[in-house]
Amino acid sequence: MPPKKRTMLKVVILGDSGVGKSSLMQQYVNNKFSTQYKATIGADFLNKELTLEGRKVNMQIWDTAGQERFQSLGLAFYRGADCCVLVYDVNNSKSFDALTLWRDEFLLLANPRDPENFPFVVIGNKVDVEESKRAVSAKRAQAFCKATGNIPYFETSAKEDTGVDQAFETVARNAMAQVDSEDYTDDFADTINIHLDNEQSNCAC
Amino acid sequence: MNSLWPVSVSHTQLTSINHQVYVHPTPSSKDNIPGFLALAKPRGATTDKEILVAWIPESKLQESAADFESYVKVDIKESGTPASSSLNLAETLVSPPPSSSFSSYAFSIPISDIFSLQVKQPSLGWWWGSITIHTRSKEDQLPPLYFHDAESQSTIMEQKRRNKKFETFDSESGSSMFWGGDHFIQVLSKYANLERAESDHSFLLVNPREGDAERFGTNLTGGSEEPSQLVAGIPGRGAGGDPVDRGAQVQKAFSDIRWGLLSNLAKVTQLTRKVSQGVWDSSPQPVKQLLMKPEVKKIGDDFDSARIYLAKWALSVAEESQRAKLKVLFDDELRELVSDEGFELIDAENNPQRRNEVSLAEWNAFFDYNGRLIVTVNEVKERIFHGGLAPAVRPEGWLFLLGVYPWDSTAAERKELVSKLRVDYNRLKKEWWVQEDKERDDFWRDQLSRIEKDVHRTDRNITFFAECDAKKDGDDDNYDKDEFGFSSQINSNIHLIQLRDMLITYNQHNKNLGYVQGMSDLLSPLYVVLQDDTLAFWAFSAFMERMERNYLRDQSGMRNQLLCLDHLVQFMLPSLYKHLEKTESTNLFFFFRMLLVWFKRELLWDDVLRLWEVLWTDYLSSQFVLFVCLAILDKHKDVMIDHLAGFDEILKYMNELSMTIDLDELLVRAELLFYRFRRTVELIDRKNEDRRNSADGSEPVSITEDLRELLSRKVIVVREGERPEGVMGG
Repeated sequence: MPPKKRTMLKVVILGDSGVGKSSLMQQYVNNKFSTQYKATIGADFLNKELTLEGRKVNMQIWDTAGQERFQSLGLAFYRGADCCVLVYDVNNSKSFDALTLWRDEFLLLANPRDPENFPFVVIGNKVDVEESKRAVSAKRAQAFCKATGNIPYFETSAKEDTGVDQAFETVARNAMAQVDSEDYTDDFADTINIHLDNEQSNCAC
Repeated sequence: MNSLWPVSVSHTQLTSINHQVYVHPTPSSKDNIPGFLALAKPRGATTDKEILVAWIPESKLQESAADFESYVKVDIKESGTPASSSLNLAETLVSPPPSSSFSSYAFSIPISDIFSLQVKQPSLGWWWGSITIHTRSKEDQLPPLYFHDAESQSTIMEQKRRNKKFETFDSESGSSMFWGGDHFIQVLSKYANLERAESDHSFLLVNPREGDAERFGTNLTGGSEEPSQLVAGIPGRGAGGDPVDRGAQVQKAFSDIRWGLLSNLAKVTQLTRKVSQGVWDSSPQPVKQLLMKPEVKKIGDDFDSARIYLAKWALSVAEESQRAKLKVLFDDELRELVSDEGFELIDAENNPQRRNEVSLAEWNAFFDYNGRLIVTVNEVKERIFHGGLAPAVRPEGWLFLLGVYPWDSTAAERKELVSKLRVDYNRLKKEWWVQEDKERDDFWRDQLSRIEKDVHRTDRNITFFAECDAKKDGDDDNYDKDEFGFSSQINSNIHLIQLRDMLITYNQHNKNLGYVQGMSDLLSPLYVVLQDDTLAFWAFSAFMERMERNYLRDQSGMRNQLLCLDHLVQFMLPSLYKHLEKTESTNLFFFFRMLLVWFKRELLWDDVLRLWEVLWTDYLSSQFVLFVCLAILDKHKDVMIDHLAGFDEILKYMNELSMTIDLDELLVRAELLFYRFRRTVELIDRKNEDRRNSADGSEPVSITEDLRELLSRKVIVVREGERPEGVMGG
């Protein structure tokens, strides 16, 4: 079999304002953290190249503004996503409660072919803050993820660079599986619907 | 004295004079020649058409002291009398003006030989106004006459008289200050029929004969044949043109108006394209070298980054080659337009240029000893539009521009106003300050955390807002709260506290809208410049009136602006538009950030301040920001068409323009585009009028309402509707 051509994976990061979406992206792609980030306005993306199972892939990670009203114009970059990352701040329970809304919003706007099996990953960010400030326990988050279609769950600190690479590796694998399953269904005209969600064992929690 | 005036048949009745009218034979001011512009009736003349318009250098007149005195006398006498009677001309006998004399630039020409006057009003602190007389014969090229009003006693007297009557405060009608040229035109109109050329309002046709007006228009719209004549304002194609033929030509020129004429017109410039193309074509080696660079090679050409990299490189090459000859290019670009479309009447002075900023001394000179404006609002705005304000002027100038200070107020009135505003701000602030925590609803709490988060990350790179406590590099989000539930990091910097308090107060004050992300970016420059929370709050509230439509819950205001920009690109840059269609980028989403916070994230701090004050003038259009967007596309369109193949690539490219934008160049380009847009709309309107009147029944080209609205200087205000029960601020 000839080497497969490089694959482009598209990933969208969603979540409430200020949970650390831009910081996670910067930490993962550029290994940088700054206390001077500005609130994201509009949208931007970064590319990350990686090799997965001997295949070179380019992951395009999209970062958007967190205030909900700005999502309505964001149709353009939801479309064609292969994986969606839902981020909340473990010290802010409101941002956790909003995850369902973000998930629904994404499915509505991106309108993926098979919404039931579309790959999401949930990230609880800012675990570097002292334990007493923590508002959402890992247990609660895991229970939610399990109940919401077995979504892989990770805890990270973009500031201290903990857990970020592992989380995004899973994002990449699930996005790739999504691309492959779509190729497959394309080839066989939707007769078989394959979904690969074999990555949950990589869960950091 | 009478005996000094020899009476002879050659004597002339002097009817009107403008003194201190100069010819500028060279760009150097020391070569300027002062003189008189006069209307003189030759002895024996029976009709007004025989009246001579003459310009006589002072030096010439000083050869005859008596003539000089009488010229001066006529000049002063007129202006010393009220306007209504200023046309009761003193008539004095003098020697006949010299006819054309090349060496001294003196000329005289009967009204009947004048085809048109090209009139350029003076602009504050910049040029002298000028009038160029275009003759009916091609041979006579008369020099432009510059009115040095500051040196002319008569004009100064008239300006004073008008200011006394308060006629200066006429901002919306666009009237500007009285100048010497007005006087000349006023007088000339007594003796000749003056008609404004429809296609270019700076031209006055003098006693237009049948067909002149049409010919003038024809030239403007149809002709690529004789552009040089057009620039000179001489009626072209007069000789061989049989009228029927010409009509058909015009018809033909218009037949494909939208995609033919417009698409050519709208091109940035063919010349620029040629230049950049040339550089690109001739540089295969550097491109290869670039592709060999490891970082590019690694990425490979099937990924967008490589193309963006290449695109940027292509732009930098093109810019490099342009930089040296930027000035020339602008001129040539415009000439190109003229020769291609016979469309723009351009000469060196029509080129928009950036000027020096308004200094504190210049600003103070706009006001009398009571602190009341003594020039028109329009003049001040024109000056700011083209030059901006010096930092020292901003604290006051911005309050005028934003409407906090009325333009016709005195210093005492403003002082009183400020005290009242302080009371008002404190009252509003107190409303939430004294609230018990249990009185605060979920909406308030939600908004508070939103505000805090954003204040934390607003312009922290500016010294003013930089961290100033031991917590440097500490928690970005600090979860220690003070007694008001505010995080302690904010409390460590008084300016952050002020920002937060102003935003909370605004959230209370404009209840339906509340705080929305992006507003902190709008407030921070106001606060830094004004350095006073009360004034910054009211300036912000005023700024938000026009910006409210950017922040509506349903985002309709942003959507409408992007849609309008879409129409504008279609109209002005059709070739780029086709490319955007191909790349599914016509949503123009990459302008979202630029529009939402007016380029706050794209420009360096000082440039943000400059751009905003320029935009606040509404000098050409209340939506000039869309022309700034258009100018960005215009500058980058070749690179985009050649190198950027998808929405993501274009968005990346646009986002990465951040902090690389040359604001002055951008503003000049935006202004040019505005003029071109306005001219195009006029042209189409005229054509549509023709179509309606003709029998062929062809459909008029429609100009969308939103495009037409771009010609208005009236600020568009859209208010948010009532916030439904239970709806949060998100």
